[in-house]
Amino acid sequence: MSEAEFIKVKYRLTDQVAKPGGMTAELANERAMRELAALGGDARKAIGATITRMEEMVKAREATVDAVYDESSTVLDIAGMFNQRILCDAAYSLCELADRLRTIGRHDWQAIGVHVSALRLIWSKDKNVGPDMKTVVDGLWALTDRFNPT
Amino acid sequence: MALDPAIRINLERSVILLVDDNPQALEALSGMVRGFGVRKQFKCKSGAEAMHIVKTQELDLIVIDSSMPDMDGYDFVRWLRREAAPEVQFTPVIMLTGHAARSMVEKSRDSGANFVMARPFTPEILLQRIFWVAKDERQMVKADSYIGPDRRFKNLGPPLGMKGRRKDDLSGHIGAATDPNLDQTDIDQMFKPARVQL
Repeated sequence: MSEAEFIKVKYRLTDQVAKPGGMTAELANERAMRELAALGGDARKAIGATITRMEEMVKAREATVDAVYDESSTVLDIAGMFNQRILCDAAYSLCELADRLRTIGRHDWQAIGVHVSALRLIWSKDKNVGPDMKTVVDGLWALTDRFNPT
Repeated sequence: MALDPAIRINLERSVILLVDDNPQALEALSGMVRGFGVRKQFKCKSGAEAMHIVKTQELDLIVIDSSMPDMDGYDFVRWLRREAAPEVQFTPVIMLTGHAARSMVEKSRDSGANFVMARPFTPEILLQRIFWVAKDERQMVKADSYIGPDRRFKNLGPPLGMKGRRKDDLSGHIGAATDPNLDQTDIDQMFKPARVQL
């Protein structure tokens, strides 16, 4: 095995961020939040459509675990950009469940169905997600933890 | 360890490449960096499109989703660090992740991204990571099994003005002297060769 080489790199970004002008971090954050607020409606619709696809999968019981994983990842990807923590936690639990199921070579539509119903419930609350939804997510994790790949 | 809200940051001249196969996530990412004052950004929905942009544009930062069909974010960074032209191979990369699948843990560790950001996150966190990249003083490591920033943060300590997250993080500040300064004779003495009886 050859020896590792260490290279000193200077990023252009380093000089750029320090140039006079620009804006404060606070203003940058406010502006970004405004941009996100304008996109929130489309994102919500896209998440709703993804949950609908998963509901159809649960009904038909024909999809692979990989397909469930991909759809749940989509929810996580979109909700994650809008800091929807509870929805992300629920989607993460479903991703973890699917990942564990494929690791142990099983399929469990009942456990997946519970997750999808919970995702629909949390999604339907929109901005009114309360502490009760945290309890729902805790329940999802308890369910996921029943499938231990080790 | 939040970014000081009063700190000024100028991204007007920075050129940023954003890569995410999900259109809503890509738009959200684009909106965030627009809010940060970035005027020039390229948006790609796949690793292949991103490779083309890397080959044809001068970029200051790449923000990429880890999970994409065909070429995922990890494979893209691996290509960037190993096969892209030498002048762009160390372009800083922030990797966005969702779920950490078992099969991806090692790939993520060895990808060579500057920072990995787990979803969910706020614009504030993304701005902080961009600032960290700009202040990143780690050397690049080129080895058979890994090309990317030195993964050992601990030797450098947290960036100046920031409190470390680890309990044993060393401060970057030297601090005020506690002992009187050495005079020149003492310093000269340190460099003076002396015969020692062993």
